[in-house]
Amino acid sequence: MKIKGKKRTIIRAVIGLSSFFLIWEMIVRLGIIPRNRMSPFTEVIATFIRKITDPTPDGATIIEHFLTSFSVAFSGFVVAALIGVPLGMMMGYNRYAKAYANTIFEILRPIPPIAWIPIIMLLLGIGTSAKIFIIFVAAVVPAVINSYTGIKRVPEVYINVGKSLGMSHFKIFTKICIPHALPAVFTGLRLSLNTAWVALVAAELLASTKGLGYMIQIGRVLAKPEIIITGMIVIGCSGAVMSGLLGLFEKRFAKWSRK
Amino acid sequence: MTNDGEKMKKALCAVISLLSVLTILVFWYMISWKNPELMPTPVETLKQMFEMIVNPTGVSLFEHVAASFTRVFIAYFSATLAGVLIGVAFGWSEIFRDFVHPIFELLRPIPPIAWIPIIVIWFGIGEVSKIAIVFIGAFVPIVVNTYSGMMQMDPIYEKAGKVIGANRKEMLLEIVIPASFPHILAGMKTALSQSWACVIAAEMIVAQKGLGYLIVRSMESGNMGNILISIFFISGISALLSYLFNKLEAIICPW
Repeated sequence: MKIKGKKRTIIRAVIGLSSFFLIWEMIVRLGIIPRNRMSPFTEVIATFIRKITDPTPDGATIIEHFLTSFSVAFSGFVVAALIGVPLGMMMGYNRYAKAYANTIFEILRPIPPIAWIPIIMLLLGIGTSAKIFIIFVAAVVPAVINSYTGIKRVPEVYINVGKSLGMSHFKIFTKICIPHALPAVFTGLRLSLNTAWVALVAAELLASTKGLGYMIQIGRVLAKPEIIITGMIVIGCSGAVMSGLLGLFEKRFAKWSRK
Repeated sequence: MTNDGEKMKKALCAVISLLSVLTILVFWYMISWKNPELMPTPVETLKQMFEMIVNPTGVSLFEHVAASFTRVFIAYFSATLAGVLIGVAFGWSEIFRDFVHPIFELLRPIPPIAWIPIIVIWFGIGEVSKIAIVFIGAFVPIVVNTYSGMMQMDPIYEKAGKVIGANRKEMLLEIVIPASFPHILAGMKTALSQSWACVIAAEMIVAQKGLGYLIVRSMESGNMGNILISIFFISGISALLSYLFNKLEAIICPW
């Protein structure tokens, strides 16, 4: 019997994934990796379900951890988008704006977002506003860069058409440049969101009392691998879900992008 | 006349660029005047850096740089090797792709930093754990780019290969891999900057040496000058690495 095409791919994926989980389960159950280093897959699932309502041993339920992390990451991201996208667009459209902002930008850009954490923590403390600021600094870079390239890639012809139709600069910018740049802007926003999420986890690993990064850090301190792995899964899934949602958003607002 | 206008505009741009650097310095000075005990002025920071290089106390700045660098070097090259291998396997063998790609996709969204706690439990706080974290950070973009490079290859090359009568091995080594080489390089470039960011993160959370460690230790002792010096080196090296990579790319992959 031969199964063709898509069906076969799905069956193979299911077999691949289940053997992955099975091997994981067996390695720990058979004691190849000791229990204090790794937890079997089923135990991680059980921990996840238990953590939905149970705040032990790390002081908060997984929902509280998630909401703490999410609200900080999202606020930082929104601020970064609101500032970064217009800034990038201005840099793309006006050469003086570019001359001013680009230099600052090129100096600050190579600094990995995580390296900002200590400066900001020393200046602003480890409170929520400091964390939001860290996320902002991390997330603003891709937003600016992609909005800038988006505007730069508007073909000269389009702008000239606008000019010969007698459109004002403002109109050319809003009616021609922005729509053309929107797909690139969304690419930037997706990168921003990603960076925001990663930077947040880093900030929480370093200093916090709640949040998913804190949860996995405590899991390490208490030597509870099931807590760490549960946290990792939640971090990974929420990151993937967030960028998926942004993709849906993009489809609605920039229908002309791609394909 | 228009030419003159253009020149004026260019000159104005240069002046504005200079102004923007001034803005940073003014901000910096403002912060240091407001918190003199916390934030050193730019000049003081430069002095401190000079002092650190000339009379190092304890672990010198260059030892920190060397420690971070070694970790990145080892992890990056092993990740490139492994990543290209896995990426090519994804692109070349349908069976391997069908079975293993879902597992890769499952693990991919977990940021390398989130691996730190479990890796520390697995490998302790020695060199291996830092290298493993950087490895994860570099491995993922290389696999993704290698794979997509192979998928996006123009089918005409494959057909041409078949016409000449190339066997599967020749097809892979002489057609498919060279054709996806630009993609592989793009992945390696992302991976390089990722590795550098990852090593800093890993060192910030668990290390006794390295630039990331220097930053965190300075944060704990409230030594802003040292933090700024470390950041100066981190971003300088990061810029240097990507510059060197671009040069290298132009040499080995001119197409």
